[in-house]
Amino acid sequence: MNHYELLLTHMGTVLHLQYLVPLLVGTIAGVIGGALPGVTITMTVIVVLPFTFGLDPLQGLAAMIGVYVGGSAGGSITASLIGIPGTPSAVATTFDGFPMTKKGEAGRSVWVGVWSAFIGGALGGLCLIELTGPFASLALAFGPWEFFSLFVFALSMVAGLVGRSVTKGLLSGAIGLTVTIVGPDPILGVQRFTMGIHPLEGGFDFLPVLIGIFAFAQLMPDVEQLNAYDPTKAAAATKLSLKVSHLSVFWDILCRPFILLWCTFIGIVIGVLPAIGGSAANIMAYDQAKKFSKRPEKFGTGIPEGIMASESSNSANVAGSLMMIMAFGIPGDAVTAVMMGALTIHGIQPGPLFISQQPKIAYGIYAAYMIALPLMVAVIWIGSRAWMRIIMMPKSMLIPIVLVLCVIGAYALGNSMKDVYVLALFCVIGYAMVKARIPLAPLILGVVLGDQIEANLIQAVSTDANPWLFITRPISGAMLAASVLSIALAVWQHRRETKRAAAAAEEEDTDF
Amino acid sequence: MMLSRDGVSGLVCLAISVILLTQTFGLPPAAIVPIGPAFYPRVVLSILMLLSVILIALDVRAMRTAAASAAAPAAGPPPNYRLVLATFIEFGLYILLLPPLGFRIATFLFVLSLQVTLEWPRSTKHWVLAVLVAAATSLICFLIFQDYLSVLLPRGTWSNM
Repeated sequence: MNHYELLLTHMGTVLHLQYLVPLLVGTIAGVIGGALPGVTITMTVIVVLPFTFGLDPLQGLAAMIGVYVGGSAGGSITASLIGIPGTPSAVATTFDGFPMTKKGEAGRSVWVGVWSAFIGGALGGLCLIELTGPFASLALAFGPWEFFSLFVFALSMVAGLVGRSVTKGLLSGAIGLTVTIVGPDPILGVQRFTMGIHPLEGGFDFLPVLIGIFAFAQLMPDVEQLNAYDPTKAAAATKLSLKVSHLSVFWDILCRPFILLWCTFIGIVIGVLPAIGGSAANIMAYDQAKKFSKRPEKFGTGIPEGIMASESSNSANVAGSLMMIMAFGIPGDAVTAVMMGALTIHGIQPGPLFISQQPKIAYGIYAAYMIALPLMVAVIWIGSRAWMRIIMMPKSMLIPIVLVLCVIGAYALGNSMKDVYVLALFCVIGYAMVKARIPLAPLILGVVLGDQIEANLIQAVSTDANPWLFITRPISGAMLAASVLSIALAVWQHRRETKRAAAAAEEEDTDF
Repeated sequence: MMLSRDGVSGLVCLAISVILLTQTFGLPPAAIVPIGPAFYPRVVLSILMLLSVILIALDVRAMRTAAASAAAPAAGPPPNYRLVLATFIEFGLYILLLPPLGFRIATFLFVLSLQVTLEWPRSTKHWVLAVLVAAATSLICFLIFQDYLSVLLPRGTWSNM
């Protein structure tokens, strides 16, 4: 069977109720979670996670892919209708979506976003299907030196790209790596840093750490500002008419093919870069669309180009992230990090051998992704008014329920309170990091990759004790050089921005 | 001169890295492989220590250069840290009381108390709604996870529920 025959066969499998129901439920949860201001896609996938433990791996993954695809588009509904992005990945949608709604074109605003997400996602899906295999084949040629360098490169790049301070980004990555050195060493099983605490002897499991880090880090800022959210905006949005000619919306999108394709490409590339995600993709794509536009001055006034740029890149970013996790075992963002954790619970290790060893799951992921896109459109089409009512649910009601589901998610990993205590510990750490303005993404990547970095380092040195091989092997050397370069570039960029800001401040001062 | 949150974060990370680094000297040497169980932690902790020192140094330098300029007031309403603290305390109590009270009772109490803490019910209708949400969360979660997803949620050692 060739590539596309396999895909069609698995699409048939995913269309069985057994897989279609979790995919649909995940998509609905994703649309609602994405539309709820303050609830990110990561939070939604964490809430859905415990429900997937009792399912077979593909059913669980189908539910999570539904959340991912639905959440990416769901964020644009609130962004367009009430001017508050449902998720960070829909921030740029507010720039033109909300002004378009204010002009009385609420339906056009929402549907340009949804159809752009659909087309961007479908194009991203084609890349996912076509490129994951070749990427995995490339990764198969890697030895432990190359994997070690690849993981170091991924970590250094993320640390340099996220947040306002390179030092804090790197510090966050180092904290993540520190979490992984607690517990037995990978060769002799010698206990390290357990301080005599018996439950620490297995080390920290990745999922309770991730759930803990994100639970309080993402919910507590909402608690801090609980009275600042104005539900009347959402109430007013439920009365808006979303009726629109879908043909004219399609024409809006398809008569601007360059923006669509370029922003989709940006979304895929950002998705492939580790742990950055849609929050960067939509802003970067919006900026690019504005730069290439013949009418940049119109951006921000409610034109379809702005919505298209944000939503197509945001949706294509999902495909890029999935590609990275399937080919290299490196999560493209926090959502794929949760998926990776869910896979490892079922004893499946994503990476270069994933497609050849788990073809049913790999093609199932492709199929679920491609089916989730039309499902997402259908879910928004049929239920947009109902979802708008759900987002009016008070935060005081939502937050306790989410926290209970986080506790269940941690507890269900091993039916033990140990993981719940780990969750509680990392809730505190996550919130402290938010208050210290230390980015969370490098920490998560550090926790995901820490064990693999150590294992590959030991394997490389055990195979050949010559440490220079890390530099003299071409791919490994190139990636280590790229790591240094990415940090140097990030430092240079941050310094340039600081100087520009200082110069701008001086200019302002001289005006007075 | 008081350190800012960057400096404090740097100090905390520095303290952790130094404490853990000293512990690596108690780890046994390598027996089979060229590098032992202490090698990788030492590398990681040295990096953590170095970055912490850089963060503290940058903070001290930034404070010297910006000593004269006053901090800009934060935009938006001030954060309500009382609610944050209350949420942390109630969440901590929930986790501590899960084993003795069991999932159903502890979850009911937690969801009800946190709802009431975050937004005080203004009428009997709101109270009824809060109680219903707490009861539904507790019972529906228990039913789904225990009966359909084979997750054995904690049964209380005191309540046997």
